[in-house]
Order: sequence, then structure tokens, then C-alpha cells
Amino acid sequence: MIKRLLIANRGEIAVRVARTALEMGIEPVGVYAESDDGAFHVGRIGHAVSLGPGSPRETYLSIPRILEAAREAGADAVHPGYGFLSESAAFASAVAGAGLLWIGPPASAIEQVGDKLAARRRARRAGVPVIPGSDGSETSDEELLRKAKEIGFPLLVKPSAGGGGKGMTLVEEAARLPAALEEARRVAEAAFGDSGVYLERLIARPRHVEFQIFGDAQGNVVHLYERECSVQRRHQKIVEETPSCALDAKLRAAMGRAAAEVARGAGYTGAGTVEFLLDERKNFYFLEMNTRLQVEHPITEETLGLDLVRAQLEIAAGETLPSDWRAGKLTPQGHAIELRLYAEDPRTYLPRSGRVLAWESPCGPGVRVDSGVEEGSAVGLDYDPLLAKLVVSASSRESALARARRAVREWVVLGVETNLTLLDAVLSSEDFSSGRYATDLVSRLREPAPRPTPDAAWIAAALAFSQEKPGAAAVSRAEPWDAGTGWRVGT
Amino acid sequence: MILACGEETAEIRIEGESAVVGQRRVQFGVSRTGERLEAIRIGPNAFPVRVAREGDRILVWCAGQVLEFRRAGGRPARRSDSAGGLSAPMPGRVRKVLAAPGDRVARGDAVLILEAMKMEHAIRAPRDGTVTKIFPREGDLVEAGAVLADIQ
Repeated sequence: MIKRLLIANRGEIAVRVARTALEMGIEPVGVYAESDDGAFHVGRIGHAVSLGPGSPRETYLSIPRILEAAREAGADAVHPGYGFLSESAAFASAVAGAGLLWIGPPASAIEQVGDKLAARRRARRAGVPVIPGSDGSETSDEELLRKAKEIGFPLLVKPSAGGGGKGMTLVEEAARLPAALEEARRVAEAAFGDSGVYLERLIARPRHVEFQIFGDAQGNVVHLYERECSVQRRHQKIVEETPSCALDAKLRAAMGRAAAEVARGAGYTGAGTVEFLLDERKNFYFLEMNTRLQVEHPITEETLGLDLVRAQLEIAAGETLPSDWRAGKLTPQGHAIELRLYAEDPRTYLPRSGRVLAWESPCGPGVRVDSGVEEGSAVGLDYDPLLAKLVVSASSRESALARARRAVREWVVLGVETNLTLLDAVLSSEDFSSGRYATDLVSRLREPAPRPTPDAAWIAAALAFSQEKPGAAAVSRAEPWDAGTGWRVGT
Repeated sequence: MILACGEETAEIRIEGESAVVGQRRVQFGVSRTGERLEAIRIGPNAFPVRVAREGDRILVWCAGQVLEFRRAGGRPARRSDSAGGLSAPMPGRVRKVLAAPGDRVARGDAVLILEAMKMEHAIRAPRDGTVTKIFPREGDLVEAGAVLADIQ
């Protein structure tokens, strides 16, 4: 069994993995870039090794530095979390090559199912429907343009590697294709070190539904039900729920079977996620497979009463999938919703930085918060702007929704602008309440009517201003906008 | 004192547990833990509040809303993008400069690529015109609101 686990990540997921390790009697060890020294995960994990100075590419994304850290820490296993190196076959094989246990599928399986185009071919062979598109054999602009006319516009240009909607570009007409290809290749090269792109027909108003799967070294592959991930902005998920309102028992069984088929025979072990698009007529299409733990894995944990990180660690250590999983005897209970708190402008969705000046996360029955920050944390621009995840669970969708609304309104975050008002707007929308929504939900939200500032807030602000130190007040009075000149310098 | 919150401005006077907010007189009570303000009580209602100072502003969380207050008295700062300028919507690194001074651009053309949080954002021309100046160079870090280019 594992004694000391290196967690090659930061933020909420590093802390989340460490918690399970501690519960299993495994000693977790964190890593941090020098510039990230005071980060929340460093203090929480309790023991962390420096990756030295430099950009994310030279630290959290550097295979040699992570392996060096593992040696220094005396770790015998490496958990990659999500993002960073989690889907890198090169990292998986380097970890194994260094004599460490890799918490994830073997490099060969990542190559077979993690590459989007290879995965599409696998899916097609297994009889799983895929979205019409190019298969990567076309690389020049001319070939892709010819293929694009065959597929039809509008279409999407997508990077062959990576995920999270990065580098994905919507192209409405042929004239816009060359510019879109250039942009997509550049983003793909910068983000994933691979400039390969392919084309895919745009499905109008799809729902995005994914299935959690698990494999073991004995060749078993099972699914652990779905997560509805249609609430997105900039092609990235912000709210997820399970079960999905879009599936009935028959469709759920068919999609779950298809999900397992994509991974079966690839030597896939550990956790993975198979993503599908569902069109308005409930036809499903294989989209891609993520060969790691998902950000939104907690909603599956809540409805199935499982710890997926524990399962990952046990499978990596060679254990067989539990017999009730293999027998399909797991049954989800109730309903769970995840809300992602991002440091971003709630209207433009552009990332925000700053310092967290006040932080109180929601609590109470059925509320779980997986956080990567606390009061005083610096939020920079080098990393993903995800601050924390709120996961609520209840016996029905209706009560989970009410619980989510209550919890979102309890959340105190000052100092860094967040998407809390957007999350509240999603939860309060007719589309979300009814369960009949697609990936365009966020774009259909109406701007909320401005609320008058409550008297309590005016009073609190006035009390705070009047507590300024006399010196500070004098300085503030000397500033030009108080002198009534009508303009302000230096901004 | 005169305070502004978004589009609203109000004069606030506080004497003990009595406040005048604009035209309204409000009797209130305060709940604190140590120095920290926890709630403002008005009549039978308690409004949970948290307060933080950021530069010359006071940030208030009040029952699920985040509000930003400043002392009022002047006009809002000028916005650079109303005067032919193109400004950075967020802090980040200039990844690529796509236009040079003298170039004619059409509305919607990408002028620069700004990278933040591993995402690339095209900064597009707000109207047709001629680029007269590009301020940053590729690789430069820019602050939110920094003027990136002039288009006449």
C-alpha cells in the first residue's frame, strides 16, 4: 500500500486529495512554485516541497521538477489531480519509470483514449455515435477548408489535445476559417504543446452530459452514472448536477454502456470521464474522454456515498473494482448540485485577481465546500481562477435547488470579484428550475433588475469610513476628487 | 458624509444608534465580534454584514450582496476606451501584437492577443479606423484598464 503520496497540483484539488490520503493513513506531500509559497494548499497539506522559481511551465508543468520533488519527499506514489500534467502520457510513464506508483491510467491507455481523434476512432469502432467531423488526417488549410465545406457551417475548430474549451473556435462561414485555424493552433501549441486541430459539426442547443467510469487492472470497466454539465460560460462548466433531468432509465443505460465501451480494451484503469453531447431529439454523440478525476466528481460522490479519490488510490495499488460496482448494484440516492466559484467578472467572465479580504463559506446540512483559498489568500493570474466548489445534496432536486440558493447567499467573499451573482442568477432562472435547459442557458439569462442599496449596507459603510484613522482621513480629504475639481488623476 | 455605491449617492449622518440615510431616519443596533462588524439590526431584522477596506473604498457584504462604497464629491474617472483608445479588460500578458501603426482596421478585427489565466483573449477594434499607436510590446505585462492602442 502507499505510504507517502506526492500531490502534483495546487488549489482545492490538492487539498481534497490530501484529505482522503490522511483518512487512509497515507502521508500526503504537496508541491508549490516559489511564487506560490503562501498558497492555501501548502499550509493545509502540512508538508510541501518547493518546485523552485519560474512560471507554471517551469514548476507545476515540469516533469523533471515534479519527479525531483517526489524523490526529495521520499514519496512512493504521485496523484496528478486535474489540469496541469494529469492527462500527460509522458508524465504517467516518467512517474512509473522513476519507480513510483502513478495514480491514473497507464500511459498507453491515456494515449489511446485521451487523444481526442484516437478516441473518436475507438468510439466509432465500438459502435458509439460521434459528431460528424474531420479525423486529423487533414492538416493544411486547403484540406481543412475542403473538409469544412463537406461538414457544413457553422462548425467548431478544436485542438486535438487538451480540453476545457481552450482553443475551441466557432466558425460561421468559410471566409473566417483560416483566421480561426491560426488562432486555434497557436492556443493549442501554447496550452498543450501540440498544435494539431480538427473540425466538428456544431450541434445546435446541445446538452452536455458526461459519465463517470472506472476501470481496474483485471480489465473490468464500469460506469458510475452521469453528471449534467450544460451550464457553461466560455465553454467551461460552472454548475453541474446529477442525476440529469434529460435522461430516462433507458437512455441512461444506453449512454452508460457506451461510456464503458469507449474505455474497454484500452487497458484503462482508475477514474475517467466520457463526455457526450445530447441533441434536442435526445440523440447522444461521444465528445471526448478525460483520463483523470473531474473537477465536478464530488456530485457523484454525494449521490453514491463514495470517495472517488480513495477508489483511485485502491485501484492504482492493484485492487479489483468492488463486486457491487461490477454487478451494477450501485444506485444513486437523491440529488446533488455543484457550483463553481470563479474569480471573475460575473458579466464578462474575464478573470480577476486580488487578495481575499473576507471569506466565509456556506455550511449547514447537505453542504460541502472544497476550497482552495481562505481569508488573506492572494489570487493571481498565473493559475486557473477556480476558488472553490460548493456541493449541495438533498433527497430531491427541488430541495437541492433550494439548498443551493440558500448556501450561495451565505457565501461571504470580499476583495476579489467572483461569479456568485451569476451562480445565483442560474439557480433562480426558470430554465434551471424547470430542468429543461441546454448549453445556452447562461446566454439566455436576463440581467437582474438593480436592487436599491439596503440601509444596513449604507450604515455599515458609513461606520467603516468613520473609523478611519484621523491621518488617513486627512490624506483622503487632500485627494483631488474631494476638492471638487471634477477629475481624477492617475487612473 | 456623502457616499456613493454604484449609481446611487446618499448623505449619511450617524449619531449614536440613529442614522439619517438620505431622507430616511433609521434607528439601528450593531452586533460585533471583537472589532468585527457582524450585523446591523434595524427594528426586528438583523442584516448580516461584513466589511473590508480596499484602497479608498469600503467593500460591504450584506445579506448575499457585495457592494462597493466610496466617498463621493467628484465625477467618475474618465474611461480611456471612449476616446479612440483600446484598453485591457483585465490584467495579463500581451501575447501577440497583430497590427502596426498605420494599419487600417475594421470593427471587430483583432488588434492584440492578451493572455491571462492560460486563456487567450483577442482585443478587437471597437470601430473602423487607423491604428496610430500600439503601446505595449509582445511579452509585456499590462494592468486592467491600461491603454493598449489608439485607433483614429
